Amino acid sequence: MLKAGLTLKLLSKHSNNVRLLATAVGYKQALVNIPPTRLTVLDNGIRVASEDSGCATATVGLWIDAGSRYETSKNNGVAHFLEHMAFKGTSKRSQTDLELLVENMGAHLNAYTSREQTVFYAKCLANDVPVAVEILADIIQNSSLAEPEIERERGVILREMQDVESNLQEVVFDHLHATAFQGTPLGQTILGPTKNIKKISKADLQQYIKTHYQPSRIVLSGAGGVEHERLVDLATKHFSGLKNTAYDIPELAPCRYTGSEIRVRDDSMPLAHVAIAVEGAGWTDADNIPLMVANTLIGAWDRSQGGGANNASYLARAASCENLCHSFQSFNTCYKDTGLWGIYFVAEPLQLEDMVYNIQKEWMKLCTSVTEGEVERAKNLLKTNMLLQLDGTTPVCEDIGRQMLCYNRRIPIHELDARIESVTAQTVRDVCSKYLYDRCPAVAAVGPTEGLPDYTRIRAGMYWLRA
Amino acid sequence: MSHVTDMKVLFTRLFSIKNGFNNIRWGTRQFSQDSGKSVQTLPPLSEPMPNLSPVIYSSAKSEDSITEVTVLSNGLRVASEKKFGQFCTAGVVIDSGPRYEVAYPSGICHFLEKLSFGATHKYPTRDVMLRELERHGGICDCQGSRDTTVYAASADSKGLEAVTQVLAEVTLRPQLSTDEIEAARQAVAFELETLSMRPEQETILMDMIHAAAYKGNTLGLPKICPQENVYKIDRGIILNYLKNHYTPNRMVVAAVGVDHEPFVEYVQKYFVDMKPMWNSEDNNSFTPNVDKSIAQYTGGIEQEECEIPLYPGSDLPELSHVVIGIESCSHGDPDFVATCVLNMMMGGGGSFSAGGPGKGMYTRLYTNVLNRYHWMFNATAYNHAYGDTGLFCVHSASPPNRIYDTTIVIARELSNMAGKVGETELRRAKTQLQSMLLMNLEARPVVFEDVGRQVLATGKRKPPSYFINEIEKITADDIVRVAKRMLSKRPSVAARGKLTHLPTFEEIQANMTLNKSDTSPQGRRLNLFRV
Repeated sequence: MLKAGLTLKLLSKHSNNVRLLATAVGYKQALVNIPPTRLTVLDNGIRVASEDSGCATATVGLWIDAGSRYETSKNNGVAHFLEHMAFKGTSKRSQTDLELLVENMGAHLNAYTSREQTVFYAKCLANDVPVAVEILADIIQNSSLAEPEIERERGVILREMQDVESNLQEVVFDHLHATAFQGTPLGQTILGPTKNIKKISKADLQQYIKTHYQPSRIVLSGAGGVEHERLVDLATKHFSGLKNTAYDIPELAPCRYTGSEIRVRDDSMPLAHVAIAVEGAGWTDADNIPLMVANTLIGAWDRSQGGGANNASYLARAASCENLCHSFQSFNTCYKDTGLWGIYFVAEPLQLEDMVYNIQKEWMKLCTSVTEGEVERAKNLLKTNMLLQLDGTTPVCEDIGRQMLCYNRRIPIHELDARIESVTAQTVRDVCSKYLYDRCPAVAAVGPTEGLPDYTRIRAGMYWLRA
Repeated sequence: MSHVTDMKVLFTRLFSIKNGFNNIRWGTRQFSQDSGKSVQTLPPLSEPMPNLSPVIYSSAKSEDSITEVTVLSNGLRVASEKKFGQFCTAGVVIDSGPRYEVAYPSGICHFLEKLSFGATHKYPTRDVMLRELERHGGICDCQGSRDTTVYAASADSKGLEAVTQVLAEVTLRPQLSTDEIEAARQAVAFELETLSMRPEQETILMDMIHAAAYKGNTLGLPKICPQENVYKIDRGIILNYLKNHYTPNRMVVAAVGVDHEPFVEYVQKYFVDMKPMWNSEDNNSFTPNVDKSIAQYTGGIEQEECEIPLYPGSDLPELSHVVIGIESCSHGDPDFVATCVLNMMMGGGGSFSAGGPGKGMYTRLYTNVLNRYHWMFNATAYNHAYGDTGLFCVHSASPPNRIYDTTIVIARELSNMAGKVGETELRRAKTQLQSMLLMNLEARPVVFEDVGRQVLATGKRKPPSYFINEIEKITADDIVRVAKRMLSKRPSVAARGKLTHLPTFEEIQANMTLNKSDTSPQGRRLNLFRV
């Protein structure tokens, strides 16, 4: 129920999941072979966007421009708490009625909160779309927020916290945000600290809804067997009641990036989990495309894939030939005005130093000497991977909703293609020189971290004296 | 206009911020060279790129789901289906897997998975082949189950010929050089190590429950390469296995999103006219030697007393795992659909799992088990269906001191399947199964796999609408009949973790016998569990 950041992760292409194998769409042809995305803005500002593929199933959802970034240290955790309360009954129907209604339709209702977005969506048979939209409208407008449920949910969230803590990747990313964006709302976790979870009240939740669930900040997105006109009609019917009330929308304070580090040394763990990142670009920045190409050049790998010597990524070759780590994954996480671009890896204590050396060697190569051939190949992979993610109604719906919030439009596939196509080796070198070269990195590490080079040494690896 | 001002304008428009006071400071980034300008000269992603040629979008079309099948001269079956969109998923589905490894050291198929899409006669290295695929925006993957191995690739349908050639090369003409085999050996060894370090137990437990259910034969053979075989398997063994199992009559080449005729032509060219590497010489007299035995369900218990790794850094308690299985039916059996409905009705999942309504929170393993016994962490029903048999099982996990109660509760719940079936729960399970089927088929690779597997098993593909109708026909009587049929056999049990409190096999069996209300209770009964 929780997604840490909207990370544009590279799909590992040797993953054991056949679904990932998905539709590597013939790119040029796909241009004319996908349905258009249609957009209608309702009177109260709600944006309705959909792509109708005529499929027997559909996904519809609400994407709301609200998340833990809009919270203060006092109410950090409210956005996520609300997500939990969403399925606990409304003034129209009890929790059991809601659950039975959804289960009996064979539908799925889900929600997640990230640092900048809150999402509620339903996946159902195409015929049930009207019911699904009605349910979504009901849960965000009439949530009953009953005291006993709030009390019970506190326990559930604290339990979820344990779950998150058992996922070391999430722990490391939370630490990375805490250090890179220290003293700003982006440094807060999505779940919030235990003391907040224990005291968040009904009034806090109501206040948050009142402030942030403004129709002008909501997108209703649909994909699959969804007719646009019908979706607009449904939206008009169920959402016209929503009015923009709060004129004092809290200004989004800029989040300052600080090159710094957190190490949580625990020698009882077998492996160290490390993330190293620099400040990346915001969602709308045109530099994002070359940054994603650079990201693809670093790639992702885990050692059960084997076959390293022929991997497209140099780092993967080095990692497999020299046994440098168990897995690594490059990431480019974007926020409105900033981002984190870097790498996450899991390695044995004695491999840490060599791994960091190899990562930084590849990073410096990106800034100075990456070749056209390598960039061409990465561009092809990036295009394939981006299309891969759009298989099925839920990923498409998610893509529409996210893009509407981030760009206020959906980037047509041929434009994305043209933008990726326009990247050259020189662009990658320039962009990496700007974001990467001689920048202060943020480092977060958990586990037996003794072997990880000191911060000053990592910082010194961010430039080449001979370059 | 500087990039920073751009952003301000953008967000003002995006969120219609009533911006009376101008004191927002956007994070001016302290870049030394150029404060805040994008390197890219293109407009921000929120604005369209100028001078793009216009495109025509397609509109929704109804799905064209007729599967065409052609049998080639050597017995190879080619199946394809047209689909909306100009891209395709193609692949080879082979009747091969650990169930056929009885005459070989176990683990060959695990190696083959790691060796897939390596160097071939045409492509000197994996790199060359991947580049060829990448040119057509394609990617590839290989995965195997106990009785089927699938090599698949997705790409632009213009690249269909190249994709077909790649598929033929990797299945029929791999080089399997010493280096590659060593790399695969390392990957397998790493995977074994990772498996033993991870708290997730599903993969190991599935091997154990199959070993218990089909002791020493066919489906009971391990899918995970046993440690002692990692250094035993070599090129000769692998080639011998391939020669006997990757034969035309055991293969289906299938594709979704292509025209049938050209596809058949390419398959003829690369799969039939060009010969596999292993029968270049002599081989007219060669008769493949394959284990044709039918799976023998034995039942019984497999247990491993061990430390299960904890989730690091969290205070979740240590868990012990138990899987109880019973023989169900093959995917060709008339009772197959009813078994799937029953599986859906049992449902279950983690006591604390992500997901809102729709995850099956009114299935029996939730309402009768997880919601009542707070100590249980997980209870999930699975049905594995194969060509000649099936295995219906429930996996559960709880702290070691509760494992006795957990096991008995699950056993009793399984035996309750032969009891009364409510109309509401049956209707719900049927609708959920129907919607699950349709939702899974949203993804093209799933359609491909469905076509491939069905054609491999039966020579044709039944469309989704057929199954939707079949599901609709299932009645409460069908469910009870199927459950009674399953419960008439002895159970299989797999357990892993600290097992001091695990009930004996006889005790578990006693709790699963039919009509137990008529007979006197056997074994220890807790009041709590008395019907």
